Amino acid sequence: MSATLVSPPKVITPSSPKLTARQYRRRVGRGVLLVVMILVAAVMLYPFVVMLVTSFKTESQYLIGHGSSLQSWKDLNQTLPVGQELLNSTIICSASIFIVLVVGGAAGFAFAKLQFRGSNVVFLTVVSAMMVPLQAILMPEFVNMAKLGLTTSYFGAVIVYAALGTPFSIFLFTTYFRRIPDELIEAGIVDGLGYTGVLTRLILPLALPAIATVTVLQFIQIWDDLLVGLLFLQNPSQRPITVGLAALAAGRTTSIPELLAGSLVSALPAMLVYLGFQRFLIQGLTMGIDR
Amino acid sequence: MGLLLALPALVLIILLIVIPIGQAIYYSMTEWNGVTSTWIGTSAWTQAFHNPTLWRVLENNALLLLSVPFALGIPLCIAVLLHQKVAGWKIFRSIYFLPTAISWVVIGLVAEHFFAYSGTLNSMLDWLGFSNAHTNMLGNESTALIALGITFIFSMIGTNTMLFLTGLATLDPSQEEAARIDGASSWKIFRHITIPHLTRFIQLAFVITIISAFSALFSLIFVMTGGGPGYSTTTVEFLVYQTGFAQSQFGTAALYGLILFVIMCVVGVFQLRLLGAKD
Repeated sequence: MSATLVSPPKVITPSSPKLTARQYRRRVGRGVLLVVMILVAAVMLYPFVVMLVTSFKTESQYLIGHGSSLQSWKDLNQTLPVGQELLNSTIICSASIFIVLVVGGAAGFAFAKLQFRGSNVVFLTVVSAMMVPLQAILMPEFVNMAKLGLTTSYFGAVIVYAALGTPFSIFLFTTYFRRIPDELIEAGIVDGLGYTGVLTRLILPLALPAIATVTVLQFIQIWDDLLVGLLFLQNPSQRPITVGLAALAAGRTTSIPELLAGSLVSALPAMLVYLGFQRFLIQGLTMGIDR
Repeated sequence: MGLLLALPALVLIILLIVIPIGQAIYYSMTEWNGVTSTWIGTSAWTQAFHNPTLWRVLENNALLLLSVPFALGIPLCIAVLLHQKVAGWKIFRSIYFLPTAISWVVIGLVAEHFFAYSGTLNSMLDWLGFSNAHTNMLGNESTALIALGITFIFSMIGTNTMLFLTGLATLDPSQEEAARIDGASSWKIFRHITIPHLTRFIQLAFVITIISAFSALFSLIFVMTGGGPGYSTTTVEFLVYQTGFAQSQFGTAALYGLILFVIMCVVGVFQLRLLGAKD
């Protein structure tokens, strides 16, 4: 068996030992690759492991580093009104996404198929609005909303999210509708579908992938956002879960296991959406290149 | 008809994005507490640029840009690893992308736990036998920004890996095969075939990473450090929030917001050229 340690004899045909050496190297290479991939997976799973493990400890068990208990999960609802805040997140997300889809889809269709005078300039302006960070307009936006009394209802946050999401939605829908041939729509009209028929039976089904992409991207973005919810929802009972969590963390008096249990709860819906609709997310991210 | 369909979107964008930019420009030259404002004029801007805090904060932003090469390089390596398609690579792909779904508020909370004095980092140092190297990175003015940068890199890995992997999927395998038969080494193939093919994707990832570095760190900073210790982890976007909502200097905050806007415009011009190049 010591033979395996010495280098392959060079007596046989010149190609065969070279091949085994290559196969050997290949096998080692695959092994190293797998080890590296497992290490990377460990790093990427770290947040989830920490949340899960820590949430099953009490504050004192967390400090001494061992033991487990269900106490933090039992107390969670007193520290963080999980049910109410998940509901708030859902209401705010659905309403904003609905506006972004309707308004953005209509405008996207207009820019792609029903061009009007100056529509290209307007389209370019809209696309550049994508680059405006909220912080750049935060102060006037906040004062405007507060003066209109919209910071004490869901409505203020919803339209801010909608306005921030619309430029991207228009960009995506326009790119998407441009690829649908005009003849198809004309044929629909000729065949007597009428405008509503064309919309519901032709355009909507064709736009489904774009609708899914906008929905998934916006859902994750709005669900995970802090700044808008923190400022534009002054009423604590209307707080979405991400904001509730951040506010708790900023207080620095909450037990860490409870905080991480709350984090896990807040992360679950977005994770599920992500796992279910991965490909729409990728589609949205790479929209506009190599097409 | 076209204009009519586009109108609701345009009204929304004009009312909530365009007009506030105009207001921000006006109010940046006033002293404003949200209710009453007094006109100062352009001297508000000269005053702001004489404020050492602004420069300290801009320096933080510049330093954070040092994390960009890592936020691109690490995902590039991971994407190449995944692209080898070893058994079970799809499971690994899902795992690598998973942090993309969770809020940076949550990532920040976990990162705080990682860097804390009794946290994972110090436990790891103990385990490796470096107990005397114990650190409190978030509590230390010279290291807090590094901890923030590392967390930022971690947060960007999923998105950028996703972009690069999509790019690699469009690569024609027969091209690589031909080069391999011609005797090209793996490194040469990577350098002369893979990288040039990925150019568009690398540019896009670069822009997204820069935008995030300037305008998406709020959540991380808010939960991890609150901008401190001192101003050591305050960036321009966080300064806007602090100046406006902690110090009630709405005018100055609007001004800082516009500085961020100008920076983003520069990045935006770059991006438009990127998008425009395809037509």
